[in-house]
Amino acid sequence: MPDLASRPRTVPALEIERLSYAYPTASAPLTTDTGAKGALALRDVSLTLAPGEFALLAGRSASGKTTLLRAACGLVPHFHGGEIEGRIEVAGMDAIASGPGELAAAVGYVAQDPETQIVSTTVAAEIALPLEMRGDPPAVRARAVEEVALALAVPHLLDRTVDTLSGGELQRVALAAALVTRPRLVLLDEPTSQLDPVAGDELIWLLRRLNEEWGVSILLAEHRLERCLAAADRVVAMTAGAVSFDGAPTDFLAWAQTSDAALETPAARLFSLSGIDPLPTGVRQARNILSSAETQLGRVSGQWGSPQRSGVRFSPHSRSRTAATPAGEKPSKQGGPPLPRQDPPAATTRALWVELGEGESRRDVLRGIDLTVSRGERIALMGRNGAGKSTLLRTFAGLVKPVRGKAEAPAGVALLSQNPSDYLVRERVGDELPGGAGRAALRTVGLEHAMESDPRDLSGGERQRLALAIALAGRMEGAELPGLVALDEPTRGMDRARKHELEDLIEGLARGGAGVVVATHDVEFAAAFAERVVLLGDGVAIADGSAEEVLSGGWYFATEVARILDLPGVITSEQGAAALATRGRP
Amino acid sequence: MRSPFAYTPRPGPLQAASPGAAVAYLGALVAVAFLYSSPLVLAAAGTSAVFAGCSAGAGGAVRVALRMGLTLALLIVVVNALVVGRGETVLLRLGELPLLGRVDVTAEALAAGAVIGLRAAVAMVAFAVYSACVDPDRVLRALRPFAGRSALTAALISRLVPVAAADAARLRDAARLRGPAAAPLGRAALARRLLTGSLDRAVDVAATLELRGYSLTSPDAARGGVLVSRRFKSRYDRRFYLVGVIVLVAAIVGKLVGADGFHAYPTIELGVEPATIALSVLVVLAGLAPRRRNA
Repeated sequence: MPDLASRPRTVPALEIERLSYAYPTASAPLTTDTGAKGALALRDVSLTLAPGEFALLAGRSASGKTTLLRAACGLVPHFHGGEIEGRIEVAGMDAIASGPGELAAAVGYVAQDPETQIVSTTVAAEIALPLEMRGDPPAVRARAVEEVALALAVPHLLDRTVDTLSGGELQRVALAAALVTRPRLVLLDEPTSQLDPVAGDELIWLLRRLNEEWGVSILLAEHRLERCLAAADRVVAMTAGAVSFDGAPTDFLAWAQTSDAALETPAARLFSLSGIDPLPTGVRQARNILSSAETQLGRVSGQWGSPQRSGVRFSPHSRSRTAATPAGEKPSKQGGPPLPRQDPPAATTRALWVELGEGESRRDVLRGIDLTVSRGERIALMGRNGAGKSTLLRTFAGLVKPVRGKAEAPAGVALLSQNPSDYLVRERVGDELPGGAGRAALRTVGLEHAMESDPRDLSGGERQRLALAIALAGRMEGAELPGLVALDEPTRGMDRARKHELEDLIEGLARGGAGVVVATHDVEFAAAFAERVVLLGDGVAIADGSAEEVLSGGWYFATEVARILDLPGVITSEQGAAALATRGRP
Repeated sequence: MRSPFAYTPRPGPLQAASPGAAVAYLGALVAVAFLYSSPLVLAAAGTSAVFAGCSAGAGGAVRVALRMGLTLALLIVVVNALVVGRGETVLLRLGELPLLGRVDVTAEALAAGAVIGLRAAVAMVAFAVYSACVDPDRVLRALRPFAGRSALTAALISRLVPVAAADAARLRDAARLRGPAAAPLGRAALARRLLTGSLDRAVDVAATLELRGYSLTSPDAARGGVLVSRRFKSRYDRRFYLVGVIVLVAAIVGKLVGADGFHAYPTIELGVEPATIALSVLVVLAGLAPRRRNA
């Protein structure tokens, strides 16, 4: 095992020099002499991460973030094969010469999908595995497992079998297994993608604490930049396998504003729409900037978001359905005419109780839910991990039987579950969806061009759309469209551009007359597509109202703009900018 | 829903035994099934495997495996009867069939098919008991000294079935959620998808094992080549090793002294010698090994 203790702490946690890499399946090999690098997953990447540095890796889907993380932990090229050039060192060890096993002493890696990185049967065994592999005695293992479990708030899970955990719980267990050896460098690939807003925020601040107190260097790839930008020391942005930006978070926001708007955070967008400088990296900074600007102008002192205290009247943005929409009709999120409201309802539940588990572990997951989904309605179903969101959707689809009450969807249900790959069985897209109806389904999700492709070759977003097309096939036309379309966590791993495409798709389905219910942890996405938000807490609907109402009335289940301005009904950057304009920009 | 084949931690001798002891014990029952053609001994091996599973608390796995095994056995009987023309007792003359030619269904072919089917069923039940009762974590650790440089091999051996069991329920749900115009899913397509998906997942597990340091030199091996760590031993190991060895030795001796008195062709001959009965009783009793003494 490498003697890490003898290596000075001044050695960079990660040092990459002119790294280029192509996966073995790439259509063109790595060729530096000709400069033909069309198939490269990484191209001429140079990057140094100092000990104790917290860097955020930003970029769109397929920009090379995951590949870079894999290279830093040795999976690339040792496990994935392919061609590699350049140099990469982790805590002074040559990552190309050493394998992931040797690097494991210095680096912890948490992959995007926690289900793929759990190898043990019980949580305790999973967390203890790396310590056991390096031969730590039982007493050391027990203490380390206990401490990391406490740090990640999973001590109650230690005796559970991993197949009983929710996605968010699995994510935390995977992180615990990566941290238990106290590595010098932690690499995380979208660790919050399956976490609810509370757990996501807690995780980011836990990482910051580990970074500050243990001196752990962190390289974190994330699409939801608003969650972690304030915690980062530095941002590295990637575009098409190359580093396109490397600098401080504030500079990154200015760069994103001009170079890639999809990487802008809602707070930065709010400020840029309002013409306010500098762009804020987080809620606290944004509030401070707004506050000091107001003070300088000698106007309202103190917090924004206290309209009652300040006496300033706020008029919500016209997009809010409370503004100018006739009763019973909902405005289009894309600014079109209100979507039609149709009767009878797409789905209803009455006093719905559902139990899951076996034997002594049997427990109530849904407790007396009453819900009506109208046709043409777009609902975000939110709540903490394990609150019962997926179970409610599965009950609508008939996959789970209630123990009491009933769930009805008289015009049928199309459910896209969390793992779209489960729907993909054949080796050609066209074979999954034969005939005219299949082609219509493909056309609806924008995949008609991919008829000849192997579903496994599609990007994550495309696979998701294909799975949705499979669920909808034969039910896409007019009256045949299912009354309820339910999507379970569809934005995992999606960048903002892909999310916009999904918003359009949801709106199209709603316009076609389907009630669309999306279980999601992504508050910003919910604000963008939903007209109504149902918040579940421990199997009970604890809030049910318009998106503007629910997503501006809390702290965790609130958008970044809502947390900055704290104004009722203001949840998006555009609404926020309009509100600032109404109040008189500082 | 949890697969019945998924390992469930329960207190019990078979669960507490080391993977090697469990494999020796259950492997002996499978070996008997493959050594013998006597329906009596095969039925005894099957009964023993069922007893073993039920004693170990894996009744659900046994039930599903029995259903699958007997379905497979029936299929084998039918196929054997159609494709094997040997045997003197013709039960049914089906005449000329496409591809198969002239088909006469004989009692001997049916019996021979039943023997092969029973073997398969015994193997499936024994494997189901293994899958439901032997902790894959311990298998993974036990394999480390042998397959430390190949996390993929270890992952495939220890994780393929648990991963497939977990995936099967999800794939069944997804199959139910397909729209009416999506290509229909037969069992074969689903099984193929399950296998390829499980292989992919096993590769992911192997990658994680690499990251957890599985390929580093095992500390036990580094300390002097101890292949199986002391902590993996259990007080039940001796019981299962002993029962496995006794069953295997008795089966070999029985084979030598003519306890396997069954021949399907040209006419069915079933010899039930005292040795056959003794071996069958011994094999059935071996199924009680996973019982707790105070139970």
